[in-house]
Amino acid sequence: MEQYINEVIRPKIQGDGGEITFDSQDGDTVTVIMQGECSKCLILDRCIAWIESQIENDLGEKVTIHAIRKKPFFWDT
Amino acid sequence: MAHIEVVRRSMRPEEYTDLRFGWLKRHIYEDKTEITSFRIREARQTAEMQFEFYDAEPRSLRRGDLYFTPDGTAFIEADAVIPEKYIGKEIRFVLKTAAEMIVKVNGKYVGGIDPNRENLLLSPYLDSDTIHIEITAYNRSKPDDERNPESLSVRGCRQIFEGGYLAVVNDDVQSLVYDMELLLNIAKSDCSPEDYRQLINRELAHAMDLLDFDDLRNDDVKAASDYIEKHIFADQRYGGCGNVALVAHSHLDIAYYWRRIHAVQKNLRTVLIQMRLMDRYPDFRYAHTQAYTYETVEKYYPELFEELKEKIKNGQFEPVGAMYVEPDCNVPSAESLIRQCLYGQMFYRKKFGITVDTCWLPDVFGNSWILPQILKKSGVTYFVSNKMSTWNDTNRFPHNNFIWKGIDGTEIFACVPPTHFISWNMPDQIQKNWDAFQDKDTGTETLQMFGYGDGGSGVTEEMIELMHRFDKISVMPKTRHVTAHEFLSENFTDDKKLPVWDGELYLEMHRGTFTTKSEIKRWNRQLEYKFRNAEILSVCRLLRGEDYPADELRELYKKLLINQFHDILPGSHITPVCRDAIADYEEINQSLDSILNESGNTYFNTLNFTRNSLTFIENENGCVCRLGKKGFYAVPNLPGLSSGKIEKTTEEYTWLSVRDTVETPFYSIKLNPDGSICQILDKQLNRSWIKGNFNKLVLYYDYPGNYDAWDILPDYRNKQESLTITETCHLTYQDNETAEFTTVLRTEKSVWKMILRVFRQSRAIEVEHDVDWHEKHRLTKVEFSPDILTRELLCDTSAGFIKREMTKNTTWQQARFEVCHHKWFDLSETGGGVAVINNGKYGVGISDDSVSLSLLRSTIRPDPTSDMGHHAFSYLIVPHTGDAVAAGINRLAFEYNVPLLRADENLNFPVNGLYLQSLKLSEDENYIVARLSEQNGARGCLTGIGPFTLMDLLETPQRETDFYAFQPFEIITIGFQVKNTEKQTHSDIFLTKR
Repeated sequence: MEQYINEVIRPKIQGDGGEITFDSQDGDTVTVIMQGECSKCLILDRCIAWIESQIENDLGEKVTIHAIRKKPFFWDT
Repeated sequence: MAHIEVVRRSMRPEEYTDLRFGWLKRHIYEDKTEITSFRIREARQTAEMQFEFYDAEPRSLRRGDLYFTPDGTAFIEADAVIPEKYIGKEIRFVLKTAAEMIVKVNGKYVGGIDPNRENLLLSPYLDSDTIHIEITAYNRSKPDDERNPESLSVRGCRQIFEGGYLAVVNDDVQSLVYDMELLLNIAKSDCSPEDYRQLINRELAHAMDLLDFDDLRNDDVKAASDYIEKHIFADQRYGGCGNVALVAHSHLDIAYYWRRIHAVQKNLRTVLIQMRLMDRYPDFRYAHTQAYTYETVEKYYPELFEELKEKIKNGQFEPVGAMYVEPDCNVPSAESLIRQCLYGQMFYRKKFGITVDTCWLPDVFGNSWILPQILKKSGVTYFVSNKMSTWNDTNRFPHNNFIWKGIDGTEIFACVPPTHFISWNMPDQIQKNWDAFQDKDTGTETLQMFGYGDGGSGVTEEMIELMHRFDKISVMPKTRHVTAHEFLSENFTDDKKLPVWDGELYLEMHRGTFTTKSEIKRWNRQLEYKFRNAEILSVCRLLRGEDYPADELRELYKKLLINQFHDILPGSHITPVCRDAIADYEEINQSLDSILNESGNTYFNTLNFTRNSLTFIENENGCVCRLGKKGFYAVPNLPGLSSGKIEKTTEEYTWLSVRDTVETPFYSIKLNPDGSICQILDKQLNRSWIKGNFNKLVLYYDYPGNYDAWDILPDYRNKQESLTITETCHLTYQDNETAEFTTVLRTEKSVWKMILRVFRQSRAIEVEHDVDWHEKHRLTKVEFSPDILTRELLCDTSAGFIKREMTKNTTWQQARFEVCHHKWFDLSETGGGVAVINNGKYGVGISDDSVSLSLLRSTIRPDPTSDMGHHAFSYLIVPHTGDAVAAGINRLAFEYNVPLLRADENLNFPVNGLYLQSLKLSEDENYIVARLSEQNGARGCLTGIGPFTLMDLLETPQRETDFYAFQPFEIITIGFQVKNTEKQTHSDIFLTKR
């Protein structure tokens, strides 16, 4: 899972100025850290749903992504 | 009477007008027919015009469906029949989206749609009542959307499809909407006269009263328009003043929040939209920069390139820019900037038969003082660059229309427009421009650029429609829509008494871009000189009758130039852009290695002077490890452009003593445990060089805010992070030429190894850094406080040096607390000084009586991973007698940056007083071209090399001569005709025996 998120999902997220890093997996819950543009995205939930569908499609695992936004200090108002 | 704040609970008349304006806009489309046959294939772009598809087959796309993926491209298709009721009417395709779309209908490129425009005109391009729509769409969730507030709400990687329609616009409603757009902008602007704003508010309310929004009738719409015409537009009693030239353009970052591979479509969409506007509005003129972008149109969209050529020929589409891309103008070397012009102008000449006379760099982060000469000698008469007026954080740049005097005295007409280069042609923007214009007394117009940009897009129909109404507004400055050339040629003539700015165009902002993305800067420097060596060696082989790899070198050079774009080389970009740049550098490096094809044990000195400084010679049997390579130090003693053997010293020398001090033939040195130096007693000059911190590594807290990658704030020195010493500075290596002292420092996250080298045969002290860097928001500098009384810092520009004031008396001096330099900086007083020579660093901090070389940053926006990982770099500290010129610092800096080549070559090219920047085959292959630069600020004569052809930087012959008196800091290009014999291609001068 960590490798998949880092190697398959991450470059795509980075392509939109975002950043995703694998944090942990607890059963079917995968926690990721979202930075860059993702950290303030108003419609991040849509993207998270897409990542879940990609994981199911590519790894055959049905997981729930728990996304933690880590905003840079200058957006953390 | 006390002021009482009145809180209105009812609607003000102006708010009611706004509300009704919104209602009116709902009637723009007379009729809409939804297209229900959309199909989509989601993809991700992997290279230029190459895509990885998520779906094997298209899926249907219905209103309300999600579409697009992170970093996604989508291919969308639909078929539809034109409704009979639309026959004979102007039909539009409507699709509201946050994405950028190139639209083809029935095989023809009909236009583009993006967040700035939701429809395009179909009628002129239809030849059938059935239509097949093909859309290439790149999703766009980028920060520049903030300039268009309406698009903010639709930003994000996954979009909701809002449907696509065929529609007919109600022209009367649309026209009234444009009138109101224009007038409401003035009414809400503080720049407009109060009485005229009152007139607008009062009369627009009356005009709206003529409309019944429950049953909007066309006659009422016309009546409202007539009312506005009669009661507002016809009223000329309110006077305005000013002269503003409106030039349409679109700023296109080749890479920024997107990769270079996406710029192909971004550019095409922009160009296509502007060409379609030209079809509809014959008076519309548009300026477009960057030869590279034209190349991509030619390569991937040849049919549109032909159309583009026609529009250039008829004067509607105006190539500007002169350069290959819009490069950063701080970090690239003189030769790189020359190549930007050479390859840019070559393209324009070859494809369009024109030499572009306007350098158009609206967004660059300051401009080097060497530019006027380079531009003037590259066919450029006018220079345009915006940021100094709108972004300076301390001082207001005093001119907008002026003459810029370069380092060598060359003068060029320059325009720094008073306001931002991205505007949407609104009256308040135009008024602000005129109000801010500082050269009113010259009688010239001010330049207002308009068109959406950063990611392209450009002008909209609305901007043109509004522009056509400006003459009706009596309070507005007088405007005219012109080409860039018309504005510049008509306003910059000798009789205008234009003010002169003699100095660099320093931008008082974005000072971090000299340092951010250290690896990119290192590669850029290394490859600039590798190209130099590859071309010189290729000329040597050409003279022996071998082929010169002209095409390969040109294409590789262009790749380097693309990566000098002003959001790539400065480091202000997202993660994949950096990855792409490094991949390009590695590819260029490998290709240049193949061209160089070094072999043997003979070394070729490509410099045009004797290399007599101690040099690191790579050798797998060497015992010194420097920057990851094994080798040894030796003095080459190789005359310029000649070859010879370089042997490692075998004699034993007792030259070093290490006790409390390090005793070398030159110095008595005391090292601190952290690798900084607390004493350098000069045995030859009998003096001390150090007053305070010297070679002191300091990690500063670096929190500039939103413009993280770009900026360093003036108070960055307020707070430091402490470094822990894990290995105290100690002797780790010694041989006949050098001794190394190593220290290891660390923070919680990073490890910093520093190696100091002292030498038997050199006054220089080399410092090598090997860093495992994992900080956030830190700026590392190495500080120098030499015991030198000076108020000037000399900085290399790569083609001459600039003197910068170190005092902080004025705000201009205070603002220059971080500046850009190239290979060296120097602090000197009468009798001696200290120079620091680097091999890939550019930022220098100036504070009080110390200077600092900026080494590494760790910013998080736009790239959260910026600069993380391993770094290795080095520099020389050179205490010297005399000033920098007398001490030959330029020579030393060339020797430190230009590697010796393993090749057995000899050229006879005895040029004194000038530095050989490049030696190449001319682009027309008729000349061997030598580029020479005067870099010491001295006059001299170029003679003794027989007859030669003086050329401009575009390699156009000017005149034949055998003598040329050159000026301080002059860049000279000379050519030697190539003789083609049956077996050999040669130029006599280079073959003459020594």
